[in-house]
Amino acid sequence: MATEQNTKTVFSKGLDEFFSGMAELAQFSVNVFREGIRPPYEFKEVMNQCYEIGIKSFVLVGVTAFILGLVLVMQSRPTMIEFGAGSYLPAMSSISIVREIGPLVTALICAGKIGSGISAELGSMKVTEQIDAMEVSGTNPFKYLVATRILATTLMIPILTVYADFISLIGAFTGSNIKDDVNVRFYFNRVFEALHYTDVIPSFTKTFFFGFTIGLVGCTKGYNSKKGTEGVGKAANISVVVSMVGVIIIDMVVTQITSMLGYL
Amino acid sequence: MMDAIPHIVPERQVEPPAIEISHLQKAFGSKVVLSDFNLTINNGETVVVMGKSGIGKTILIKCIIGLIKPDGGKMLVFGKDISKLDHRELDDLRMRIGFVFQSSALYDSMTVRENLEFPLRRDRRKRITENIDDLVREALRNVGLENAIDLMPSELSGGMRKRIGIARGLILKPEIVLYDEPTTGLDPITSEEITQLILSLQQKYKTTSIIITHDVDLAREAANRIVFLAKGVAYVQGTYDELIHNEDPEIKHFFKR
Repeated sequence: MATEQNTKTVFSKGLDEFFSGMAELAQFSVNVFREGIRPPYEFKEVMNQCYEIGIKSFVLVGVTAFILGLVLVMQSRPTMIEFGAGSYLPAMSSISIVREIGPLVTALICAGKIGSGISAELGSMKVTEQIDAMEVSGTNPFKYLVATRILATTLMIPILTVYADFISLIGAFTGSNIKDDVNVRFYFNRVFEALHYTDVIPSFTKTFFFGFTIGLVGCTKGYNSKKGTEGVGKAANISVVVSMVGVIIIDMVVTQITSMLGYL
Repeated sequence: MMDAIPHIVPERQVEPPAIEISHLQKAFGSKVVLSDFNLTINNGETVVVMGKSGIGKTILIKCIIGLIKPDGGKMLVFGKDISKLDHRELDDLRMRIGFVFQSSALYDSMTVRENLEFPLRRDRRKRITENIDDLVREALRNVGLENAIDLMPSELSGGMRKRIGIARGLILKPEIVLYDEPTTGLDPITSEEITQLILSLQQKYKTTSIIITHDVDLAREAANRIVFLAKGVAYVQGTYDELIHNEDPEIKHFFKR
């Protein structure tokens, strides 16, 4: 009886946390749009954040993407050859990478690296009164800190994804060349022949939503963090979990929509 | 004969007090912090607000600068009702007020130079005609830390952080300065240095100031008037001498008599 009561309490507490978290995110995104569209615009800070968020992630995203492309081909090759479909390896790798692996893996890496970074940075600024200091200096911290970071992630994740796709295809080509001798021009001809706009456009479009989600969750959790340094750590942790789950849900929704439109 | 020209006596411009607080109320849930706080501070006056920890002193100055929204009451700063200002007007008003945080609140990803440049670069009124670098160096010279210009906040001692916090709070040459416990957590010698620094800067820039502190020495040296905050109201106010001779048990206990 007591255990049942306990389960109910935990369940209702979980539901309460889930819905209040969603309300917090919704409220935050409304504020982002409201503050973001009002002048003055913080172009310099957006550029700075694009550099911090985007350019500084190129190495990590590149290395991961290369390895994934390489491993994908090395793992698929024996099975494809067994079915006599070895010549489809470039097409298979390009469609897998461009449609799914590139955008998803880039977003998940960025959720871990960028989302937690934003959350920890804003959280520590909040608990050490740096956000208040900014506000008393006549600077709107929501516009300066939050809107700029969300815009930067929304712009940079698509760019990082295109870059990751390209590096991953090079990894896939390298993987193909470990066992076979494949001509680079032949390989990339097959790669691009297999790709259509219906593959590229939905997968590219969803990366903007991934970027927005990562920025929004990171900023919301960091900006609203409480209870000192413990709260900052917690905010960074939750932000990674929520943005990863968010990215996967968006991916599923986009796939469903693409399928309903007959592009799959 | 010409009609006599009426002699119009221009209405005398009466300068409003720098800060006028009436019936200020603030509660957090069931905890009432300020219940009916009233205070008027004239231009050029230095008011020290004292009281027990957690009594609402910091809340009071955060309400004045608009960081915390009060539940009720009226607050006029330079004659403008804070609660009726839009975001832009509030930002403009904040440019005329310096705030020195208890924790210094230095931007830890920026050097000392960038910390001091930040308010200057963000000043929308664009009234800074002097070279920003000169202003930064002048602010650092005022607090005796010119050599710290390229250090990061993490490389500074507690006293140095306070000084840089004061330099940043005063860099826009504000008309009002709000100090939140400027000597808390410092050793007696550094506290005395900070006290002297505050006094010298007040003389130099003729600012109106509110100093939140527990430091009786600072209060004695800096205050034109001390306000003792208790039970959510300005419980007692007067000069330092008046307060130390006050027979109210709470005041007596605070001043350890």
